[in-house]
Amino acid sequence: MTDGTPPVILIAEDEESVAEGYELWLGHRYEIKLAFDGKEALEMIDESVDLVMLDRMMPKLSGEQVLAEIRKRNIDCRVAMVTAVDPDFDVIEMGFDAYITKPPDRQELIDTIESLLDRAEIDTELQEYHSLMARKGALLSQKAEDELDDSEEYRDLLERIDSKRAEVDANLGDMGCDIDFVGAVREIDDVDEGFEEIDRPPTEPSEKGEHGK
Amino acid sequence: MNDRFEVRGILPENSLPEIPAGHNIGIIGPTMTGKQRIAIQMLATPYNSGEGILCITTNRPEEIYDVLRDHVDSLDRERVGIIDASGREGRELVDVSTETVSSPSDLTGISIGTAKLSRQLESQGVRGVRYGLISVSTLLQYLDSQTVFQFLHVFTKRIEETEGLGIFILDSDSHNPQVVNTITGQFDGIVQLRESENNDLEFRIRGFDQKTVPWQTLEQD
Repeated sequence: MTDGTPPVILIAEDEESVAEGYELWLGHRYEIKLAFDGKEALEMIDESVDLVMLDRMMPKLSGEQVLAEIRKRNIDCRVAMVTAVDPDFDVIEMGFDAYITKPPDRQELIDTIESLLDRAEIDTELQEYHSLMARKGALLSQKAEDELDDSEEYRDLLERIDSKRAEVDANLGDMGCDIDFVGAVREIDDVDEGFEEIDRPPTEPSEKGEHGK
Repeated sequence: MNDRFEVRGILPENSLPEIPAGHNIGIIGPTMTGKQRIAIQMLATPYNSGEGILCITTNRPEEIYDVLRDHVDSLDRERVGIIDASGREGRELVDVSTETVSSPSDLTGISIGTAKLSRQLESQGVRGVRYGLISVSTLLQYLDSQTVFQFLHVFTKRIEETEGLGIFILDSDSHNPQVVNTITGQFDGIVQLRESENNDLEFRIRGFDQKTVPWQTLEQD
């Protein structure tokens, strides 16, 4: 998704005219895939999909069932529920990352999608932030802070930390909002299930600063 | 909403009377230096002012509840929520709202429990929530330090944006110094504890935009 190709959005909606309406709104920004029932949606979901818009009420498999299967398969994608009724807290517990009330307003739809796509970046960005902070942590376990303050390299590191933090926080969204907060934690949590071992930044100075004091 | 949380009288000589709302504080030191006692006091002290307590514990929830009760005259159960992240099966009854997650590494579960309990506290009309995470060190035993760091970033941000107070315990001798320093970077301020050569407990305060206070003796009652 970071390689310049447009993000892939799978829209699962049983009313064809509604689905095509979404495609019309979103097609110039994203690569759109359409599924007309829950079963079809599951067949089309793979790692290339960045975000799924799931209608809550669909024939064959409901939105909730599709979501449960996506989470079970551990596919790394954001899932928004599209619903005609105002959802309850259970939407968060079920594992949806956002909900969109039907019928959505065009701008509202795009805003929701954009914030979910931003959030998809936070795991990587937080990893980068962590590796800068770990470098600072290693330096602090070797030298006193006032000693470090004189070093240009250290001041440069602090600047990079500040700007990385600003970047992370801009993409995090509103952490006072329950569904955004849980969604952000899920982004971090997901990685651990699978390929975390090979995904660690090699530059991280872990363990080496251990004998500093 | 409070703009600051009172923590007066917990540390000697009024060295930390209050903490601004939205701040996250680490209680850091080797084992057996009284971190948990200080953390619980900070969670419970102001209790009668209408604030709420939301404590994530990797210990037995009844243990935390008992200690909380020792520090509060009349614990209003409606204003306390506990997230049991001990991963232990078979629970004793604690008569406050409790959310249970499968293990200390279930971060998503912890976040759902947090959201749920903070809604409950809100419906009780609390004026601000004191969050406790007892302890970060247990999370570090179950998860790699990068994941714990990431989680703390999101969690402390939540506390900042909801203008709560975050209190986090970290054992400094259970992890390498670099990990301790890196994790500490997520806090606005810390209370450091240590045992001096003559076995007195000492503390110092760092951060909170004040100058580092030198080591002082922590009075034991």
